[in-house]
Order: sequence, then C-alpha cells, then structure tokens
Amino acid sequence: MGDLGTAQFSAVVVVLLLVLFYGGTFLISTRIGKKEENADGYMTAGNNIGFGISAASMTATWIWASSMYASATSGYTYGISGPIHYGLWGALMILFIYPFGKRIRQVAPRAHTLAEVMFARHGRSSQLMLAGSNVVGSIISLMSNFIAGGVLISMLSPFTFIQGVFCVAGGVLLYTLWSGFRASVLTDFVQVVAMLGAVAVIVPVIFFAAGFPAAFETGAANLTPEQGNFFSSEAFLGQGAPYIAAVLAYAIGNQTIAQRLFAVREDLIKPTFVTATVGYGAMVIGVGMLGVLALYLGFEPTGGDLNNLIPEMAATYLPTVLLAVFFIMIIGALSSTSDSDLSALSSIAMADIYGQNISTKADANPRTMLLVGRITMVVATAIAIAFASLQLNILDLLVFVGALWGALVFPVLASFYWDKVTNKAFTVSVIAALALFIPVRFSLVPMSGPFGLLVEVLSVVGIGVVLGLMVFGFLGLRVARVVGVVAALASAPFVFGFLRDYATLSASLVAYAVSTIVCFAMSIGNKERFDFAVIQDVTGDFDEDPADVVREAETALDETDSDLAKEA
Amino acid sequence: MAIAMSIYVLVWPVVVAVVLFVISRAFYREWNAARRRGEDLI
Repeated sequence: MGDLGTAQFSAVVVVLLLVLFYGGTFLISTRIGKKEENADGYMTAGNNIGFGISAASMTATWIWASSMYASATSGYTYGISGPIHYGLWGALMILFIYPFGKRIRQVAPRAHTLAEVMFARHGRSSQLMLAGSNVVGSIISLMSNFIAGGVLISMLSPFTFIQGVFCVAGGVLLYTLWSGFRASVLTDFVQVVAMLGAVAVIVPVIFFAAGFPAAFETGAANLTPEQGNFFSSEAFLGQGAPYIAAVLAYAIGNQTIAQRLFAVREDLIKPTFVTATVGYGAMVIGVGMLGVLALYLGFEPTGGDLNNLIPEMAATYLPTVLLAVFFIMIIGALSSTSDSDLSALSSIAMADIYGQNISTKADANPRTMLLVGRITMVVATAIAIAFASLQLNILDLLVFVGALWGALVFPVLASFYWDKVTNKAFTVSVIAALALFIPVRFSLVPMSGPFGLLVEVLSVVGIGVVLGLMVFGFLGLRVARVVGVVAALASAPFVFGFLRDYATLSASLVAYAVSTIVCFAMSIGNKERFDFAVIQDVTGDFDEDPADVVREAETALDETDSDLAKEA
Repeated sequence: MAIAMSIYVLVWPVVVAVVLFVISRAFYREWNAARRRGEDLI
C-alpha cells in the first residue's frame, strides 16, 4: 500500500506548483485579454476557432478528474476490460455526436447555446428546460471538480480539504473571469498538453517501477476469472452499458460541448471531434490501466476508498519530480472542465436568461451581457464551493442529471431534423420521461408484477432508441429504423426478467423510451411544418454593429428589387 | 500472456503521445499563420 507519509509535498512545494499552474494560465489569458471584451467573443470566440485549439479544448473539456479516477476504479473492479468499458464508450460518444453537431451548426451557424436554438425552434418552455438542466449539470460538475481538487491537495500536502477547494476555485476563476470562453479554450490547449504529456510518461514509469511485466505472472492469482476475462459480461452490464446510455445524454445535453461546437470553424467539426475521440479514449483508458496494475499487485487503497487508488499508486511508484507532474495533470484535468463549466454557465445567463428573457435580442446591451456573464461566474463559483464543503454524494447527483439529459436527447435531436415537433410535444415528453424515470431510478415502486414488466418493455424500446440515434447521425433514418428495431428485438430475450435488477441502466433506458414515444405520438399528427431557416434569423450575434444591420437590410432590399425587376 | 498484457497496457501512452503531437503541430501552424496575418489566434 502507498505510504503517503513519505511522499507528501511540503506546503511551500504545493503553493509553488499551484502558483506555477494557475499563474501560468492566468498569464496566458492576459495575452488574449481585451480592454473592450466582446459579448459574442466571450461566449463563442467568433465561431471561427482552428483545429489545434478546438481539438485540444474538446479533449480537455471531456476529460475531468472524475473520469480518470472512475476509469481506474473500473479497471480495479472489473479487471482487464474495465478501462475499456469506461473510456471507449465515452470516447465513441464524442464521435457519434459529430454528425448531429454538423446539422446543428447548419441550422444555427452563429448561436451561442443549444437552449438559445430551442427558443428559436420552439419557445420559452423548451429553452428554459434545456438551460435549467445545463445550469444544474454545470454546478454539479464544478462542485465535483472542486471536491477532487480539495481531496488531492489535502492528500498530498499539509493543507486541509477546504483550503484545497478554495485554491482550485480561486485559480480557475482568476484566469476565466475576464475573457470567458476565449480564455477557457486557449488555456485548455496548455492544460491538455500537460495532461497528455503526463500520461505518456507516468503510465510506463509506474508500469516498470511496479515490477511489470513479471507481475502479470506473479499477480495473476489476484484476479477472479471474470476480472481476467476481456469479454466479461459483468463489466459490460455493470459499467459499459449504463455508461453508453449516460454519455450519449451528456454529449447532447451538455452546454460545454455545444459551446465548442458553435465555436469551431464549421469545416473543422469532423477532424476536431475525431481527434478528441482518440485523445480522450487513449488518455482515460491509459490512466484506467493503473487500476488494472493495482489489481495484479494486490494494492489496497487506504480505507478501501477507490478514489485514493490513483493518487496512492502515483505516490508509491513515482519519483518526486514525476509526482509533481502527476499533481499538475490532475489539477489540469479538473481546471479545464471547471473553466468550461463557468463559461457555459455565463453563456446561458447571458444569452438565454438576459439576452432572450429579460431583454430581447434586438435590445440586449452587450456591455450589460458581459457584466451578467462575469457575475454569473462569481456566483456559480461561490455556490459550487458551498456545496463542495458539504461533500454531497456526487455520483447520485450526476446520475440524476444524466437521466434528465437522457429525457431530452430525442426531443432535442428530433427538433433539428423533423419539422413536425412542437413545443408542447417537447415539453410534455420530457416531463413524462422524468415522471417515470424517478420511481425506477430510486426504486420507489417495487420492480415486480406489471410495473416491472412495463419497465422492461420500455427498456427494450430504450435500447432501440439509443442504438437507432447513434446510427441515424451517420447513415440516415432508414438504416436507423432497421438498427433500432433489430436491436430492440435482439435484446428483448436478455432483458425480460433480468434488467429490472439494474435500476441505473433501466431508469436511463426508460427516460429515452418515454420521451421518444410521447414526442413522436404528439408530433406525428401535426399539420403545421416548421421552417428551419427561422432559427438562423432568431439566433446570432449580440454585438452586431447597427451599421452592418442597415447594410444587410439594404442589400436584401436591393436583391428583392432586382428579383422583382427580373420577374417584370 | 505477459507480453500481450504489456502491449495492451503500454499502447495507450503511445497513442496519447501521437495525439499530443498532432494537436501541438496544428496549434503551432495556426499560431504561426495568425501571427503572419497580424491577427489574434482567438
């Protein structure tokens, strides 16, 4: 077991590392700081970011401290296939959403948030539903990352947990507050270089320092047959399958991903998402392999707490210099996600709350918007610190938000492709899905008799919906229908009488199924058709120069006159 | 078995290093191009 007593940093060393990291990122953000910051730049950096920064930012945002800890935990719990069942599915979700991303950019090229697009597509209730779920999700994500920072700092230094939380929160706010999203994406590049560089070095060093490859032979007895099986069904059902359902929802519903989608140059969406898929997958699976190594070694984390696994493996097998690199890697992971959450929250407050509900797009003052964005960041940080100090059960909260977004996936995606979906169908389907999700997830109703059967029927439909949506983005509706039906029918024999014991998985699938069925049933008979061109007119720049608006109007009038003249 | 497991564990840091190279090279090119045009990178 790791003896942290001999590997802890002194207070001076930790302060120096934090000053190096946060001071460095702050200096970088000052290089792009503008005296007169632009509201659109603060939210999406002008919708024109290049491949290098956007791929780095997408990778850094998708990787957070919990993903590294959870991947290692999966390796330690489920054996050699554990990290794959965490990292691979998470990575593939980035890949699966890029066709949807291209469609979203096509209909709303200059939007700032998905909720803003929903306002243009449907109206207020859909917008506020999406915006509200994003606010809750980002606050929880912020809190989770602050907790991870507090735990790491208290574990490796003389500082207390709450002092660690304040250090991380203050550091992230310091470099994000002034330039918002622009600072977030630029510092993401530096942070991802630090993270990827650290993993490329640390994993092989621990591997050889811990006595591998010989330990694969000597420690093989520490694995159960299921842990030693690469095709373990236990690993798939316990980790992989619930994760597939959850991360699809996270990828679609999460404003931090949507914000990068609106920021990257439109022709670079595909290479950005493909690179982020490979980068995220390799990094998270690589770190997860430390859990597999720990399993072979018979390594016991202190107090049986699996969150101690990675820090203790690092403290035990890394020399002091590389332990400092490890420290920076974790701080980088949690900071890059935290600054993305702050930027996401500020954009929602600026565009969705102030820009379209308190004011109107035409009347919104960009300077007031910036003030709203900055105040939002400060308030969100304070709330996240307060919740972090309570040390709530993050996992339960995250699963709840994941399911909330699961209920939104079909209505959101259908709204971008199907012109029959209405605001009423969107809102009712999401509420109905949540109404059934909650009793299933928290086992409020016994999973037996007709209710258990109903949940399993809906779970079968949910499997078809998830797989159908994944295929739809790449191959279109016809193939998606076939895949969805085949997947549902093929899974049915394995679901009935079995899946009701897996509350997390069945609750997520129920959320997908109910929202899809209700949204479809309420939309199919709709006679009115939505014109997607309207979205582009309603969403767009808040900083637009009035002179440009007049010029655009004059150009449009000239074109109309010209057309009329031709017709005459 | 030990060789296969070693490759399985160590291939990920190699892939990570390749991605790091791709992202860093793209960033350098974009930074250089922006500097030549006299524009901000973001």
